[in-house]
Amino acid sequence: MQRNKISNRQIKALIITIVVGIGILSLPSDVAMIMENDGWIGILIGGLITIPFIIMIDKLFKLQPGKNFFQLGKEILNPIVFQVFLIIEVLYIILLLSYANRVFVDVMKAYLLETTPTEIILMTMLIAISYIARSPIEVIARMAVIIYPIIIIFIIFLILINIPNMDITNIYPMFQVGYKEILKGIIASLFSYSGYEFMLLVLPQAEDNKKTLNYSLNGMFVVIAIYLIVFFISLSQYGIHQLKREIWPTIAIVKEVDLPGYFLENLDGIVMAVWVMVIYGTIGPYLYSAGTILSHIFQTKVHDIFILPLLPIIYIIALLPRNLVETEEYLGKTVSYFSIVAIFIIPAIMFISAYIYNRRNSL
Amino acid sequence: MMGTIQKDLNKNIQILKDVFKDCDDINYRFIQIGKDKRQVCFVFFDGLIDKQLISEYAIQLLLTTSESESFDMNTFKSKILDTIAKEAIAIVEVDEKTQIDEIVDSILFGETILLIDGVAKALELSSRGWATRGIGEPETETVVRGPRDGFSETLKINTTLVRRRIRDPKLKVKNLQIGRRSKTDIAVMYIEDIANDELLKEVFRRLDTIDIDAILDSSMLEQLIEDNHISPFPQIENTERPDTVAASLYEGRIALLVDNTPFALIIPATLGTLIQSAEDYYSRWTISSFIRILRILGGFLATLSPALYIAITSFHPGLIPTRLTYYVASSRINVPFPAVVEAFLMEITIELLREAGTRISGPIGTTIGIVGGLIIGQAAVEAGVVSPLMIIIVAITTIAAFALPSYELASGLRFCRFIFMTLASLLGLYGIMLGVVVISTHMAKLNSFGIPFTSPYSGLGIEEGDLKDTIIKAPIQKLENRPEFTFPKNKRRFRRR
Repeated sequence: MQRNKISNRQIKALIITIVVGIGILSLPSDVAMIMENDGWIGILIGGLITIPFIIMIDKLFKLQPGKNFFQLGKEILNPIVFQVFLIIEVLYIILLLSYANRVFVDVMKAYLLETTPTEIILMTMLIAISYIARSPIEVIARMAVIIYPIIIIFIIFLILINIPNMDITNIYPMFQVGYKEILKGIIASLFSYSGYEFMLLVLPQAEDNKKTLNYSLNGMFVVIAIYLIVFFISLSQYGIHQLKREIWPTIAIVKEVDLPGYFLENLDGIVMAVWVMVIYGTIGPYLYSAGTILSHIFQTKVHDIFILPLLPIIYIIALLPRNLVETEEYLGKTVSYFSIVAIFIIPAIMFISAYIYNRRNSL
Repeated sequence: MMGTIQKDLNKNIQILKDVFKDCDDINYRFIQIGKDKRQVCFVFFDGLIDKQLISEYAIQLLLTTSESESFDMNTFKSKILDTIAKEAIAIVEVDEKTQIDEIVDSILFGETILLIDGVAKALELSSRGWATRGIGEPETETVVRGPRDGFSETLKINTTLVRRRIRDPKLKVKNLQIGRRSKTDIAVMYIEDIANDELLKEVFRRLDTIDIDAILDSSMLEQLIEDNHISPFPQIENTERPDTVAASLYEGRIALLVDNTPFALIIPATLGTLIQSAEDYYSRWTISSFIRILRILGGFLATLSPALYIAITSFHPGLIPTRLTYYVASSRINVPFPAVVEAFLMEITIELLREAGTRISGPIGTTIGIVGGLIIGQAAVEAGVVSPLMIIIVAITTIAAFALPSYELASGLRFCRFIFMTLASLLGLYGIMLGVVVISTHMAKLNSFGIPFTSPYSGLGIEEGDLKDTIIKAPIQKLENRPEFTFPKNKRRFRRR
């Protein structure tokens, strides 16, 4: 007996583990930079914007039940247009993987392995994720369920250790920000919500089609809650002026905490351990989807042959920027622009075409 | 193919003597019965049969019955075997055989064959009976509270032990033989209206594909039918306890009992079931939940503690409190090796000691324990080869590995420990985490007969509440349903009245 169906809990866990990724480290200071104390508005609205798109992806498969993403695309779109879409998606994923890996390596170097060469950290991480990326999708879903409680426990831990030093007054003043800043803040936070488009590959294999939407929205709400919690904790801990100066406030707050009756003095070791898992849960599925999309572009039966050839490409792109500033400036910006096309525009176009296609065929 | 049984007794005996040439443990017992002094022959293997049974209830009875007036062989004609079986043999199971192949097999299995001159058939008398160990206490899975009987090497006794716990005609026992030469008996046990049909079909399919000359132990069968035979982790559970087998059957799992081994196999096995032990169900739920948590902790300690020691001492001394760092550094001040060498040295020593201790038992085993525990530990510290902290770590690792109820799982983790130590010595904590995620992925990839090995932690069964019997073990009243990961046909287990 072979089971390759994805259960509802797995869908929820997948959304959380894939979406919570590199964004969680820098998001609080990113939005604080633009919106000051009202950064949470950007995070909240940014998250709410994704919801119609999650609904669209879900409805897309309900319009044409029993078909997967690729069969659907070939049917409702012009084949050439669909191929272009797929190529954009692959490029986006390669860039995102390079960016995520680069940020991951920089964080690792900054907090855990000061003397280990960047190349070694990058290479080992790529080899590790190639293992999960070559597995079938149900393995990725199972891993998500294993990683997801660790994220939740970590967030609870984060709240608990910060309660003693929290200064609630740092959160105020609220509602001071103008419309222009809100818009900018939302755009800055949007990238942190990328990842839900993985549902395009997952949903056709869902076990129970009726409740998928519920569970995927549920997952997204958990992500929004996690981001909001992290933002408020960082803000209350630092105050707005210091928060704006921190690059990765989420780690920095943990580093400053001293546990009462401490056994572990510097908790950044634990954060780093969780961080490896979080990133693994994010970029593993991305690499998998790159492989899967390529296998459909080249019409092969298996996706795993594309994983290893992708690694050197990601490796080279990730090492292109010379420093942190360049990483954000070149890689980060490009990925953000790409992400708007890849995760908002393409799913929307597919949904609209599927809708029109259905209307036309039913008449 | 050796043809059919002939009418002439001497020809039959000649054929058998050719087949069993140079087998000096075979016996041919000729007697003459009836008025016409008809030659009959009992053929059996010495030691495989119950001699008293055959001599009293077959040979003696046949002789005395044939003395009587009414017993005239010539009048029976074609019914001769039937009459003998009915009137002159007092053995529970008798069967008629016509092929030489069949009787050769029967003799090998410990049955007695009765050949009669002038009859082209043979009578098989069920007479298996050899020296057995009897029912003893299981040696690897002892409990403080709970039944004390364990499986032995005889299949019949083992299946009986299980049947005594499931008095239900729905408990099915399917017998088959595997092994071209060993012809080992295998019993597939399942409860018909609980076990999933697809799972059952898959088990039989895999058993059918085996073509090997001999199965000597259930572990050989295990390796032949498991999903991934390269993985260090077991995908089939084994047990010596009939109550564990019965409990698994009630959960909709399937048990394989193999002749000549006290270890039964249970299919499927998952990470959830491998940390359960029989005693969990006999103790109160609080204590068994506590012990479950301890076991999981033990699993992590057994796998990770030396690796963490290496990572912290050589990469991240800042992660532990400053005073502890000073202590570790001062205790290592005389140690001439880096932490990696120290850890590998001690871990390999302890593995050697364990291996030596298992192979040798009794007084010499005790000596090894003393030599290992006292002399090597104490002397190594005093000589400054290892730090005292390392000795503590090694001790914790070894004890923690024994806290896991599944020896196979513990062995798998012991193997992983060395991978983690290598990773930690190269990349520190980051290396350990990479190992953790990759090995978790490997576990997530594993299937046990199509059922995810990591269930119910990884999804399958979470929805249905299988978690009630994993990290914590809920009170028996709360475990209303059978675990869902086996897809049982009948779900309800407990009903309140």
